[in-house]
Amino acid sequence: MSERFFEEGFLRRLERLALIARQASAGKTQGERRSQKRGQSVEFSDFRPYVAGDDFRRIDWNAYARLERFFIKLFVEEEDLTVHLLIDASRSMRWGEPQKLWYAAQVAGALGYIALTGLDRVTVTAVGGANPAASYFPPHRGKQQALALFDFLQKLVQENGSAGSNNSAAASAPVDPELALRAYASTRAPNGAQRPGSLVLLSDLMHDGWAEGLRVLASRGFEITVIQVLADEEVNPELHGDLKLIDSEDGTEVEITADYDLLGRYKKNLVTWQESIRNFCMARSMLYVPLTTSLPLEDLLFVWLERQGVLR
Amino acid sequence: MNFLAPGAFILGLLLPVIVALYLLKLRRVEKEVPSTYLWVKMVRDVEANAPWQRLRPNLLMILQLLFMAALILALARPFAWAEGVSGDAAIFILDASASMAAADVEAGSRLESAKQRAIQLVDDLPDTARVTIIEAGREARVLLSSSLDRRQAHLAIESIEAWNGGSDLGVALELGSAIAARQPGTEIVVLSDGRVTLPQRLALKGRLRYIPFGLSGENQAISLLSLEQAPGNTLTAFVQVTNYGSQPAARRLSLFTDGSLENVYDLKEIPPGGQQNVIAEGLPAGTRIVEARLDGDDILKTDDTAVAVKPETQSLPVRLVTQGNLFLETALSLQQGVVLTKPPAPADAEAAPSETGEPTPEAQPTAVDETAGETSALTIYDGSVPEQLPASGNLVFIAPPRSTDLFTTTGQVNTPLPRAVDPADPLLANVSISGVSILDAVQIPLPDWAVPVVAGELVDEDGSLTGENVPLIFRGEVGGRRIVVIAFDLRHSDLPLQVAFPLLWSNIVDWLSPGGRSSVPAQVAPGETITFSAGEGVSSAVITRPNGASVEVQAENGRFVYAGTEELGVYQIRFVGAQAADGPSAAFAVNLFSPIESNLDPADNLPGLVSEDGPENAVTQKAMREWWRPLALLALGLLTGEWLVYQRGALARIRDLIFRRSLSTGKNRQITGW
Repeated sequence: MSERFFEEGFLRRLERLALIARQASAGKTQGERRSQKRGQSVEFSDFRPYVAGDDFRRIDWNAYARLERFFIKLFVEEEDLTVHLLIDASRSMRWGEPQKLWYAAQVAGALGYIALTGLDRVTVTAVGGANPAASYFPPHRGKQQALALFDFLQKLVQENGSAGSNNSAAASAPVDPELALRAYASTRAPNGAQRPGSLVLLSDLMHDGWAEGLRVLASRGFEITVIQVLADEEVNPELHGDLKLIDSEDGTEVEITADYDLLGRYKKNLVTWQESIRNFCMARSMLYVPLTTSLPLEDLLFVWLERQGVLR
Repeated sequence: MNFLAPGAFILGLLLPVIVALYLLKLRRVEKEVPSTYLWVKMVRDVEANAPWQRLRPNLLMILQLLFMAALILALARPFAWAEGVSGDAAIFILDASASMAAADVEAGSRLESAKQRAIQLVDDLPDTARVTIIEAGREARVLLSSSLDRRQAHLAIESIEAWNGGSDLGVALELGSAIAARQPGTEIVVLSDGRVTLPQRLALKGRLRYIPFGLSGENQAISLLSLEQAPGNTLTAFVQVTNYGSQPAARRLSLFTDGSLENVYDLKEIPPGGQQNVIAEGLPAGTRIVEARLDGDDILKTDDTAVAVKPETQSLPVRLVTQGNLFLETALSLQQGVVLTKPPAPADAEAAPSETGEPTPEAQPTAVDETAGETSALTIYDGSVPEQLPASGNLVFIAPPRSTDLFTTTGQVNTPLPRAVDPADPLLANVSISGVSILDAVQIPLPDWAVPVVAGELVDEDGSLTGENVPLIFRGEVGGRRIVVIAFDLRHSDLPLQVAFPLLWSNIVDWLSPGGRSSVPAQVAPGETITFSAGEGVSSAVITRPNGASVEVQAENGRFVYAGTEELGVYQIRFVGAQAADGPSAAFAVNLFSPIESNLDPADNLPGLVSEDGPENAVTQKAMREWWRPLALLALGLLTGEWLVYQRGALARIRDLIFRRSLSTGKNRQITGW
């Protein structure tokens, strides 16, 4: 099963990518991630004149031979990082073609694999899932842990995405994402923790609680990327006539007459909403990537996320 | 406004039903969506359980109500009474005579006005009514027969043009009546100015309606222009100007000779209905064409000009074979154009015609004298018969002494009582033969080719009538020549002493040389068919019309027939033949000269018309003009509009699809928003 989660060739392409850390974060052990800290590694960054107190082992003697002045060679410090992948597994994520949850799991798998390849720690948590016991993937490090990660994600999709699970979990009350994120923040990054690391949230954000939860996470020093996964039918609803819409999560009913005006208003409303999310994220140094599930995964990973500054 | 089917208004009850449907809350289809998160923010009023909802202004509802209203109105078939033609069929007769060109109406001419009115009437007809269009012009022509095609009716009406002559309205009416007889309920509409000649008490099938056109009768016309050869080889022109209006008129008359202005006459006051005559004497001898023009404008221009062609006096060579007949010679010499030749002796003359000499074209008078001794267009044998008849030329035999190839003499009759067989015979025009006494006559049984002109009843010895008739004068055509036989010796009767004698000879010469003395008539009415003789050796004639167009006419049996005289003006004729290559020429003039056409006072009634089926000359008739068509169209438009409004979502999607297809190429096209 896990071999099928990604093709071999796709994984090899993923290995050429790396996560970008935006904040200067000091990891406990040296990893392969570029940090903004200059330090000891093999990747040259810059020169600066020698000042008293510098480690004289880092003086560039070749430069001294030519110029008779001391220069210090600066290198990009490479360090490790914990990558937190949060997947919204609520029932609204089961929609779409391809399914939003499945899409989110794929993105999480790809990002996780990239992180593991970069010798970062990866942990995955499903928020609002049907089976809370199977919703946590503890931090793993090393490329060999990729299979475990894929296994976990596949199980997550199987348990939450299929129609069967729909019925069995129908009675369970929907989880408030605010509470879930608050709990996550307090357990994974307790007050005073130095480096909570980067966090990628994959959700449709169809709940007011997400905003509050993200605010809490941001305050704990997480470097957050919000990837909003929407289905095509949510962006361009193909609805006709007089309808009673029933929310798949809490059963809320809304009566609408889906005519041209209303659909036009809906789309305008969606744009305004996404704009407000974008402003929210910008104010808190989060990256916001809205997408629909019809966007091919390769386009997202190799083009779009790179352009957004998530990968390189 | 009235309604043909007011019952349709019951459907109006559907209007409140439509409104009620909008008031009723719909049973909505349940649909599960991932999240109602965004919808909840938008939908304002959720009156969940009320069966009725507040009526909101809704474009769809308004369109549906309007559609229903238009449909119901159309179904009720509203109509308005209009002055028009009703009935199952209509026959429009348009007068296209010269008087219809009068410009006393707004449309430009009476005919234009009539055409506009006819088109309007055609449009107002019920859709099932068949239309027949008849043009009453030079002849009555059916332009469109019992057609439902309104476009063709328009074309037919538009194609009618006024011509320069009178109209054949009587025939057109009979034609229309014949068509109406086949279709009951037909209305015949005559659009005319009433300036027509109609047969007395013309009885017509179908309802007749006459719509008069024209407002004014103020018109002056040149009603006569003639030229005469005056002594001294000059010409005299006689012009008559008639004022057909009701007011005295002053006009200026210009006279042109061969295109150059000769004289101008100010006609100070022409009394209403009166004439003023102008005699212009001493016109140049060489003049061929004289044109008279009334300067200035009146409502009909056609009759303000007239042309005349100098009369061509053509000589007729006549050969008289006689032993001396003073009466006959005198009578013949009085005939205009006759050039009399007498062979020296009858014996010589008998041989002479056997030599078929050069044919003499009639239009070359100079050649006549030289060749007259050999042949003639007309040879008169008085009391003698040639051994061999001349090969060509017409013949007159007077008291033939013996039989010929043409007839047989069987003896002699005494004192026959002459009697005209047919008083209308061309030979007897203005001639009274009854008082004539005849001593004796040659008895000639009537040949097959002949018609008797004067018959003589035989009287027995005691003076009583026997009832037996012998022909005294007969005429006929045989072998391409005309022959007149007078069975009695003129000197053995008192006919030469009668007034009838020169007239009889005039008639005989006229008949034997048809058109001969002046072969081409000088004046012709428009549309009149003219015939003229070809003359010797002439095979065809080229006729040049006033507009410059030429047509070649072939001679048939030595005569030309030409009917293309619609145009006013001078027609030139050039004869073409073996002997006359450059040909002698002639000319004739076509002038309107028609009091009926020039008298433009519009007539309120057509004279002497009786309609068998309806009121005579019904002036106004009511016709129903239905309005359901535009209403149905409006309903269709509203329905289409309603559908478009309802489907605008789908239309917008299609538009977006096209728009996006054409604009986006980037890989990020799937990314939503901003």
